[in-house]
Amino acid sequence: MSAALSLRRRGPSGRLTPYGLIAPGVTILILLFAVPAAYNIWLSLHDVTPYDALGDGQFVGAGNFRSVLKNPLTLSSLKNTVLWLTLVTVAIRLVLGLGIALLLQASVLRRLRLVGLTRTLVLIPWMIPPTVAVAAWRWLLDGQAGLLNQLLMRFGLIDQGVPFLGQTSTVWWCIVAIISWRELPFVIIVLMAGLQAIPHDQYEAAAIDGAGRLRSLLYVTLPNLRPVLGVVALMITINSFNNFVYVWLTTGGGPGTYTQVLATQLFSAAFVDNQLGSGAAIGLLMSACMVVFSLVYLGVLQRRARA
Amino acid sequence: MTADVLRRRRLRARTGDAVVLAAVAVVLAAMVFPFAWMVLTSFRPAGEMFDLNQILPQHLTLDGFRGLFASSAFGRYVVNSAIVALVAMVVSVFVSCLTGYAFSRFEFRGKRVFMVLVIAVHLFPFVILITPLYLFFSELHLLNTYQGLIIAYVALTLPFATYLMMGYFDTVPKGLDEAARIDGCSTLGVLFRVVFPIAWPGVATVAINSFVMSWEEYLFAKVLMTDDRMKTVQVGLSNFFGEFTTQWDLVMCASVVASVPTIVLFAVAQRRLVSGLATGSVKE
Repeated sequence: MSAALSLRRRGPSGRLTPYGLIAPGVTILILLFAVPAAYNIWLSLHDVTPYDALGDGQFVGAGNFRSVLKNPLTLSSLKNTVLWLTLVTVAIRLVLGLGIALLLQASVLRRLRLVGLTRTLVLIPWMIPPTVAVAAWRWLLDGQAGLLNQLLMRFGLIDQGVPFLGQTSTVWWCIVAIISWRELPFVIIVLMAGLQAIPHDQYEAAAIDGAGRLRSLLYVTLPNLRPVLGVVALMITINSFNNFVYVWLTTGGGPGTYTQVLATQLFSAAFVDNQLGSGAAIGLLMSACMVVFSLVYLGVLQRRARA
Repeated sequence: MTADVLRRRRLRARTGDAVVLAAVAVVLAAMVFPFAWMVLTSFRPAGEMFDLNQILPQHLTLDGFRGLFASSAFGRYVVNSAIVALVAMVVSVFVSCLTGYAFSRFEFRGKRVFMVLVIAVHLFPFVILITPLYLFFSELHLLNTYQGLIIAYVALTLPFATYLMMGYFDTVPKGLDEAARIDGCSTLGVLFRVVFPIAWPGVATVAINSFVMSWEEYLFAKVLMTDDRMKTVQVGLSNFFGEFTTQWDLVMCASVVASVPTIVLFAVAQRRLVSGLATGSVKE
C-alpha cells in the first residue's frame, strides 16, 4: 500500500506501480493457495493428526499413499466421483440446460410478456444456498413424513415409507436430482447468453435455404454454441468432481460407504479419523486427476484448433 | 383453398404455442416446487405438518420462526455469518479493485502470467487444501476466530472478484484517467476518486457476489469454526438435520432464514449479476 502511494507519478519509478497494485491480491493468493498446496505434499508423506503443531509428524514415506490406494473404499469413491457425481450430473445439466435455454427463447413467451417472469423463476434454485437446497430436498424425500412418500402412500402405490436416501437403489439418483436442480440455472443462463449472441442473419440465411427448425438447430445453433458449451462443461465438470457439500449433507457418504466420493473421503480421513496425512494424500490424488483431465481437455482443444 | 391452408397453419402455430407453454409450465413448476414447499412448511402450524388433506395450510403462523430463535443459537449463527461475509466482502472488493485496475490499465512484465494465475485459481478446488489450511490456521491461532474465516473467504472470493472488476474497469474510458492524472491525481486517487465512482454498479455487483459466496460457504466454516458460539448459518442449519429424527419444521424455518439474504441480493442485482456471470463465462 505505502509502496503504491509513494509511486505518485509515472516516471522511472512509476514502472513499479502495477506491481504495487497487484501485490496485496497476489500475496493473499500465494499464501492461501500456493503455500498450502506445497505443504500438502509434505503432509502427504507424514503421519499427522489435527492436534499436532505445524511441522510435527512422523515421516512415513509413501505410507499414506499405500494405505489409501490399498483401501477398497478409494476405488469405489473414485468410481462414484467420476461416474455419478461428475459424468451423470454434467450430462443431465448440459442436456436439460440446453433444452430449457432453447425453450425459454420461444417467441410465444415474448408475445405474452412472460420473459421476465420465466427468467426469474427459473433462477430460484440458484438463489438459495446449497445447504438449503439439500434441506428442502431431504424434507421432500424423507422416509416417513416426506411429501413424496405421503403421496405414494395415499395413491396406494406403497404401504410403507420408502427410505429414498437410505437404500442403495435410489440414493444416487436422489443426489443427482439435488445437484442437477440446484446447479441447472447456471447452465441455463450461460447458454441463453450464448444463444443471444448468435447473429440473427445466420438463421435467416438458413431459412432461405429451406432449413426447418431441426436443421437450423443442428447447423446454426449448435456449431455457434460449441465454444460456450465447452467452457460451461469444463467449469461444471471441475466443480462437480471436487464437490463436497452435496454428498456430505445429503447422505454423509452413506448408506454405509455406498455414496462416498473422493471429497467426502478426504474430509472423513482428515477430520473424522484424524489422519491429516491420509487426507493430504487423497487431495493429491484428486489433483492428479484434475491435471490429467486438464491435459486431455487442452489436447482436445488444440487438435480442434489445428483442424 | 388458401383460406384452408392458412387456417391449418394458424392452428398448427397455436398448438405449437400451447405445447411450448405447457413445457415451460412443467419446467418452472419443477424449479420452483421444492423451494415453495420449504417456504410453505416453515409457515405451517405445527399440528398440520403431516396432514396431506391440507396441502395449503388453513392459516399461516410465525411460531416456527419464534421457536427457532428461542430454542437454538440460530440468531447467533446469523450474526456470525453476517460479520464474516460483510468484512470479507469489503476486503475482497478493495483488494480486487487494486488488482483489477492494474490488469485493466497497465502493461508490465509478467502481466499475462499473473492474470492467468489469479483467474485460474477461481477454478482451483479448495477442498484439496483443507488439510494444510487447517494446520496453518491452528498454528496461527485463527481457528474459531472471525479473522480466520474472513481471511479464508477473501481468498475464496478474490479470483472471481478480480476477474469481474477487470471487466468493469475496461468499460471506463482511459481518457478519464489521464485527465485526472494531469490534474495531479495519484494512481490511487485516480482509481478511487475517478474510476471507482463510474464503475460503481459493477463494483456493487462484485460486492454482492462476494457476500453471497461467503454466506453460502460450508466446508471452511465447518472445519475452521468448531466452537458452537462461532458457527455460521450454513453449518448451524446442517446440524439440524439429524441422522434418524429430524424436526423438519425447525429445519425449514432455518432454511428460509438462511436464504433471505441471498434471495434479496439476487432480486436487487439479478440482471447485472446474471449478465456479469454469463458474459464472464462466454468470453473466457
